[in-house]
Amino acid sequence: MSRADVEACLREGHPDIEARMREPWSDLETDHATAFARQRDGAAFGIWVFLASEVLFFGALFLTYTAARLANQEAFAAAGRETNIVFGTLNTAILLTSSLTMAVASQAADKGLFRRLTLWCLAATAVFGLAFLVVKGFEYREDIEKHLVPGAHFALSQAPAQIFFGFYWLVTVVHAIHLSIGIALVTRLAVMGWRDVDFLKENPQVEVTALYWHLVDVVWIFLYPMLYLPGRSG
Amino acid sequence: MSEEAESKSTETPGALWRRNLWVWAALMLLLALSTWAAYWPYGRIDTAVGFGIAGAKTALVALVFMQLKHASGLVRVVAACGLFWAAILFALTLADVLSRMANR
Repeated sequence: MSRADVEACLREGHPDIEARMREPWSDLETDHATAFARQRDGAAFGIWVFLASEVLFFGALFLTYTAARLANQEAFAAAGRETNIVFGTLNTAILLTSSLTMAVASQAADKGLFRRLTLWCLAATAVFGLAFLVVKGFEYREDIEKHLVPGAHFALSQAPAQIFFGFYWLVTVVHAIHLSIGIALVTRLAVMGWRDVDFLKENPQVEVTALYWHLVDVVWIFLYPMLYLPGRSG
Repeated sequence: MSEEAESKSTETPGALWRRNLWVWAALMLLLALSTWAAYWPYGRIDTAVGFGIAGAKTALVALVFMQLKHASGLVRVVAACGLFWAAILFALTLADVLSRMANR
């Protein structure tokens, strides 16, 4: 949708738009609807710049994995066989489902029509995120019991398998931190939307939070074949 | 644009779900397929299928859930920039790594 369309849409029937703006932006001498539409554009642009930087952050980690795997293919296959594919697949399904509820919440808030649907979808998204962390916790416990932590008591005989599990621990913990931040942001939206009837309607914060949530999902989409699928056929 | 303006007035929760549910169903199918494909006895092809499916899932999430399909040109450029710089990172580094492996 072009900016003119967004501005036209917003101008149509929202005299109370001033209340939703971060700053009045009076210096620009635009009407409130135009200023609000520009702030929404700015919010989407800003989060996408951040997401692009996240792509590079995780890209560097993924590249390290790729280089190490190319050099140690057999050890990575043996190490990949040790991860628990049931937990991994279940968690992928949970995150993909959470992206569905997040997308529905964001689109419903964007239309400004279905407050109850938005609230329920936000709550479901946060619950799915928590479920992911719970499953991950059980998986971590099993990994520790199986001595899959790199170090003196590491379970596998091939030394490069420790590189795989070094990566596994680093990147799953970094991902879990990202997800925890996402859960906090989604919960915040749900609580504020529940308290204030007008909070969620057309609020750019919902879209920004949703975009961040989807990126965390996309990171996991790539971690799944990296961590859980190597060496299964051997 | 005009289509969206129309749907704005007639939008129902059911339509909203239907628009997104098929993406979720496709994502679940792709997940099942990639899990199954990992057990095929074809070695490297399995790996390629795994990452190919990850790419397809990402495209679905980015285009529909993240609404890149309807995003402004500026947003699309920013999204493409992330991939572009990552591609440079991968291309230059892997050129080095792979040529060393080939000459060993």
